[in-house]
Amino acid sequence: MAIASRRRSTIGAAVLALLLTTAACGTSGPGETGSEGSSGADLHLWTLQNEGINEVQQAAIDRFNEEHDASLEMTTYVNDPYKSKLQTSIGSPNAPDIFYNWGGGNLEQYVDADQVAPLTEALDENPDVRDAFLPSVLDVGTIDGEVYGVPMQGVQPVSFFYNKDVFAEAGIDEFPATWTEFMDAVDKLKAIDVQPIALAGSQGWTELMYLEYFLDRLGGPEKFQAIVAGEPGAWQDEAVVESMRMVRELVDAGAFGTNYASVNYDNQGSQALLTSGRAAMELMGSWEVTGLNDNFPEFIEAGTLGWADFPAIEGGAGNPDSIVGNPSNFYSVSSQSDDVEAAVEFLMTQMTSDEYVQGMMEVGQVPAIAGLEDQVGEGTFGDFNTYAYEMVRDAPSFTQSWDQALPPDLSQTMLTNIQQVFNGQMTPEEFADAMEQAAQ
Amino acid sequence: MTPARHGSVATAGRPGLVWAAPVLLFFGLFALLPMGAVVYLSLTEYSGIGTPAWLGGDHWARLLDDPIFFDSLWKSAALTALSWLFQTAIALPLGVFIAAPGRSRALLAAIFFMPLLLSGAAIALLWTTLFDPNFGLASVVGPWIGVEDGNFIGSPTLAFYCILLVVSWQFMPFHTLLYQAATRQIPHTLYEAATIDGAGRWRQFRSVTLPQLRDTLITSSVLIVVGSLTYFEVILIITGGGPGTATRILPLHMYLEGFRSFDMGYASALAVVLLALGAALSLLVTRVTGYHRMASQREGL
Amino acid sequence: MRQRPNVIGGAGALIWLVVVGVPLYFVIATSLRESSDYLQAGPLSIPADISLANYAEVLQSDFVRYFVNNVIVTAACVAIVLALSLPAAYAIVRSPNRSVARVFSILLIGLAVPSQAVIVPVYLLITQLRLYDSLLAVILPTAAFSLPLSVVVLTSGLRDIPRELFEAAHLDGAGPWQAMWSVVLPLSRAGLATVGIFAAMQAWNGFLFPLVLTQSASVRTLTLGLWDLQGQYGLNVPLIMATVMLSVLPLLVVYLVGRRWLLAGLTAGTGK
Repeated sequence: MAIASRRRSTIGAAVLALLLTTAACGTSGPGETGSEGSSGADLHLWTLQNEGINEVQQAAIDRFNEEHDASLEMTTYVNDPYKSKLQTSIGSPNAPDIFYNWGGGNLEQYVDADQVAPLTEALDENPDVRDAFLPSVLDVGTIDGEVYGVPMQGVQPVSFFYNKDVFAEAGIDEFPATWTEFMDAVDKLKAIDVQPIALAGSQGWTELMYLEYFLDRLGGPEKFQAIVAGEPGAWQDEAVVESMRMVRELVDAGAFGTNYASVNYDNQGSQALLTSGRAAMELMGSWEVTGLNDNFPEFIEAGTLGWADFPAIEGGAGNPDSIVGNPSNFYSVSSQSDDVEAAVEFLMTQMTSDEYVQGMMEVGQVPAIAGLEDQVGEGTFGDFNTYAYEMVRDAPSFTQSWDQALPPDLSQTMLTNIQQVFNGQMTPEEFADAMEQAAQ
Repeated sequence: MTPARHGSVATAGRPGLVWAAPVLLFFGLFALLPMGAVVYLSLTEYSGIGTPAWLGGDHWARLLDDPIFFDSLWKSAALTALSWLFQTAIALPLGVFIAAPGRSRALLAAIFFMPLLLSGAAIALLWTTLFDPNFGLASVVGPWIGVEDGNFIGSPTLAFYCILLVVSWQFMPFHTLLYQAATRQIPHTLYEAATIDGAGRWRQFRSVTLPQLRDTLITSSVLIVVGSLTYFEVILIITGGGPGTATRILPLHMYLEGFRSFDMGYASALAVVLLALGAALSLLVTRVTGYHRMASQREGL
Repeated sequence: MRQRPNVIGGAGALIWLVVVGVPLYFVIATSLRESSDYLQAGPLSIPADISLANYAEVLQSDFVRYFVNNVIVTAACVAIVLALSLPAAYAIVRSPNRSVARVFSILLIGLAVPSQAVIVPVYLLITQLRLYDSLLAVILPTAAFSLPLSVVVLTSGLRDIPRELFEAAHLDGAGPWQAMWSVVLPLSRAGLATVGIFAAMQAWNGFLFPLVLTQSASVRTLTLGLWDLQGQYGLNVPLIMATVMLSVLPLLVVYLVGRRWLLAGLTAGTGK
């Protein structure tokens, strides 16, 4: 009996070792992946699913395939599965050639693993492409001075969206510009029995936006940059704790109502509150407009939707014109691709082409391209797009969403802890300490 | 371990090892081998990209210090125990009830069976919407049971019970079916004898039905307990482990660490614990149910 | 056997009927709504404008392909599980071979082990076997993890078969193969039905394996297909409900037709 089991375990160990070494071989070594009889260069592009945007992307791919006699194919994924998918596939034989990513910390982990092809040289050879992008956005695709991703989608700043009818009913003439006015507006809204703010609190990222803006207004963008840089004590900075205290203030003032922790953004739980008038405003990224239009078209048509900047906080060190959000999303080229050149070529020729940019604007995106002032004003969402575009163009800083800028495990912990602060399970001070510990 | 009575019988005419070999090979390749790999991965630093880098026991040290881990263990245990209790308490009487002949019972049986036909993701999406505190069923039912603002899945205490409800809702049809089938199998003669002896319905249930259902109870219980270690998509979709960590059972903790935080090494350590727990549970189950014994339990009926 | 009505039982069944019925009603009602107002109209209200637009949209999408994929995966898993576990259970019950008993012990340990725990190594394995992005990639691991339970349940069922039946078959000159067909198979119908349903459930509901091990739309399963209906930042719930209804209807038909057979299978005794 002992002999049989020992033999089994040695066989087992041998197979295991074999398995892992072959897996390891498959992941390192450029191009050794063995193209399974793929004729020419069958390139794969992975991106998120979005009906309107996907059409524009497909058109660009078709143009590229025709002009360059290539065969680039697009595969779309939904948000959450996409990240896991990409993580396990990158570096394996199943990796895409061009992939959608969020820049910043998200891109950096791939760069650190030597999985991304640098694009700076190609951009230098195509200066008109490079100069077309808004600098603050291209910056987010740049790691340690080398460009690894080019913007391929619209800018997505975060701002307040509000129901004009409800505001009028509460006697608020203009969206508050300062924090004192804001808290005042909250009181006025509660007085007419309306939930001041709609918050999809079952997901941490919606709550994160408040923290992002508070910290930026109170301490300026340097505070978060210190956190990203991993400086010791960055999380325990007084500004961070104060930001969380302001969050608690809002919660305690009843600004979010009581059942926000059960509301889900994905099934329009918070949008329904806003459009039905049961809540007055929502802090959200610019995609809210197209989302509302898809799900509640009458609301948009009636012109009831208003938008405004996050208020300035008196006494804060940050610039009230600074913004947070997703600067854009990026396409990067896998360094393991069978045809890096062709993939880079696609990016250089299509991403700033007139047709692509125009197509993006038509589906409601505000591209991260310079000089579009006149064009963004056209179309269904012209007013909003102009607002967003000018906001991004003139912003002294555009801080990336923290859950994209930070490494995945830290941001996961952060989202959980933020939820706990909102729900009263953790104090602001405990949050700072917990995050500091997690960052080590 | 092998009962002595088989010892002297000739082996001709009996199935040999070759009959069980395919199962072993298949299971070995796709289950045992990966299990071994997971143990290895738990000792490495791996983010999913590139190759795992040897780390040693760091993840294990972290595990022992991780309050979320211990909490998730407790939650998994609680969910398993409560699932068993809740599902058995409902499925057993229900199965017995609809086993009786009659059109209306058959119709009920068909309706009760429906949730089984839905996939887990569908059920999760369905219930997420029902739980919306402002526009969903939760907003209607909440006030009736003292939750004024319909805040069910957002409440750290209530969210857990919501999950219990949904997974039970999902699997109840199957267990009801088992009990229904088993009840049909009970010989009428036993009931007739009991009636002659003057036993009422409740007495008959206790003395005739329940004992006859013992085997099914065991099978059903094993399936519930075994299945409870894998409740996963439903929780992921409805609460994501939240609010905070209120519903983060061990499989979910492992998934989040592995596929959201991309700390596959640590997730593998958690997976090893899950595997060990699963194995321990299996051993316990088989001891208690006597599955490991070869002898028949129903001689001479 | 006429008795006075079972009030408590009836009341309990009624309560559970509500618990099951209301969400089902919600699925049906929502699938008939337009997406624009499904949330605000109230969960239990009857849709103001009944519309089949969602169903049309689902049928025009890749739904049929996902459904077929799901059926293929489920059928293949059940086939593999039954084909492998019945002979093994037979051997475990009848063979004096010590190694066979050891197989049983190994499988016993794997009983309560969840498949999610080993997803990363399985992914690596599937890639090495060049099976990535195929239905087989989903079928093989899913079936593998249903094996321990199947073998255990079948073994426990087979134990009840009286020794005499096997010995009689042996005396008639039957080898183990014939014995399996003439003795084991007929008498294990109940166990096979139970195991078959459970394996089918596992396969039908599979989420993590398809997610990680497949990629193209051509091999996507229904569970993943549901996720397809999610935009970048939101769900179209009425559309999802229509998809759910469409995926349930064929199964419902199968159930209604095969109900008697299913119940007969589950109630097949060991020769009472």
